[in-house]
Amino acid sequence: MNERYTNPYLIGVILGLILLFSFYTMGRGVGSSASFSRIAAAGVKLVAPDQAKANIYFAKYMRGGKSPLLAWLVFLTLGAALGGLFSAFIANRIKGEVARGPSIGVSARLWLALAGGVLSGFAARLARGCTSGQALTGASELAFGSWIFMLCVFAGAYATAYFFRKEWL
Amino acid sequence: MGPLYKFGWFDFAYSLQLAALIGFFFGFVLERAGFGNPRKLTAIFYLRDFAVLKVMFTAIVVCILGLLYFSIFGWIDLSRVHILPTYIWPQIVGGLLLGVGFLIGGYCPTTSVVATASGKLDGVIFTLGMVFGSLIFALVFPLIQGFYSSGHMGAVRLPDILKINSGIIAFLVCLMAVGAFWMAEKTEKKFGNKETLPVGSANIKRTGATLLILLGLILAVINPDRPVFSKSSVPVISTEETEQVEPSVPKAGAPSPNQFKIVDDEGC
Repeated sequence: MNERYTNPYLIGVILGLILLFSFYTMGRGVGSSASFSRIAAAGVKLVAPDQAKANIYFAKYMRGGKSPLLAWLVFLTLGAALGGLFSAFIANRIKGEVARGPSIGVSARLWLALAGGVLSGFAARLARGCTSGQALTGASELAFGSWIFMLCVFAGAYATAYFFRKEWL
Repeated sequence: MGPLYKFGWFDFAYSLQLAALIGFFFGFVLERAGFGNPRKLTAIFYLRDFAVLKVMFTAIVVCILGLLYFSIFGWIDLSRVHILPTYIWPQIVGGLLLGVGFLIGGYCPTTSVVATASGKLDGVIFTLGMVFGSLIFALVFPLIQGFYSSGHMGAVRLPDILKINSGIIAFLVCLMAVGAFWMAEKTEKKFGNKETLPVGSANIKRTGATLLILLGLILAVINPDRPVFSKSSVPVISTEETEQVEPSVPKAGAPSPNQFKIVDDEGC
């Protein structure tokens, strides 16, 4: 695979400007994890509309009879998927594969990806955001809780790193 | 004057198109940085590649400086920017859990989208996992809503907590960033793989670091919190407070489950 990536400082400057553009135009930063919650809400609404309405957490996505998917962050996430696709395409990095370290099997990696995803989805709702919606956005606003959140993300990952070294190294 | 949307420059439908555009560039640069690759993302936790720290911290510093300079030039009204409210306990626990999920799963929410787009099956599984995790959260929400709204401090910012103006905070963040980058480079040299790490000229790095510190220092001296720089009739800080505290009054005042309402929790 082509692993020649752009210099991270340059990416950081561009990402900072994108974030600034978002603040300048919308008065808010970027984010994505709420999209997955909205997708879950839309799924429940499709299968069991009454239950979706009865759930006090999902109900807020449907206030005024709107579709839970008609939201700013959902469109941002769609855009991010397209942007990622375009970048991977021009760098010749589109490839069906299971990304993992050399000493872990495919099925173990997929189970861990599922576990990590479920945990992240839950955690992002609890913290009201993820690494973009809380850490990037909130830290840029100098929001107190977001800085604490960001430190905790790194603390949690560093504390776990040793136990899962076989997955990555 | 920004934020343009809050001043009625365009409507909701246009804001959604703008979201897709911002998202496109967001996803594009994440993939450019290699963040569709979980081994690249998790390498920071094994001290081999600090791209995650460099990208995040650079972006944060650029945006902090940009917002404060924009407000000094009168280009943006910071009192109309949505400040994320602090709920300290759920943020601490959620942050720790997200960190664990990041390490086990190999992605954070946005990077998993990029990974999915570039064809990684583990990225697809992680993304589906997040939908499922959000569903679990919504199902158990009645049980944990007390904790979810605990530690509410309103829309507090570091300047409010530390009681120093945001210019000085910005300067301190610049210093912290330069220090963190320096340590990251040192550590990478020791543990990292020289073939995959990006090369960069030491001169550009030095110039960048000097520029950051200089821009921070200017902010620290001129103090962007002074009401002179706020074009609105009310000083910045007080409007921020009223705008943010007002909607959360029902939450703080009446924690009874029947009246519980989530106000403006768009989060990430």
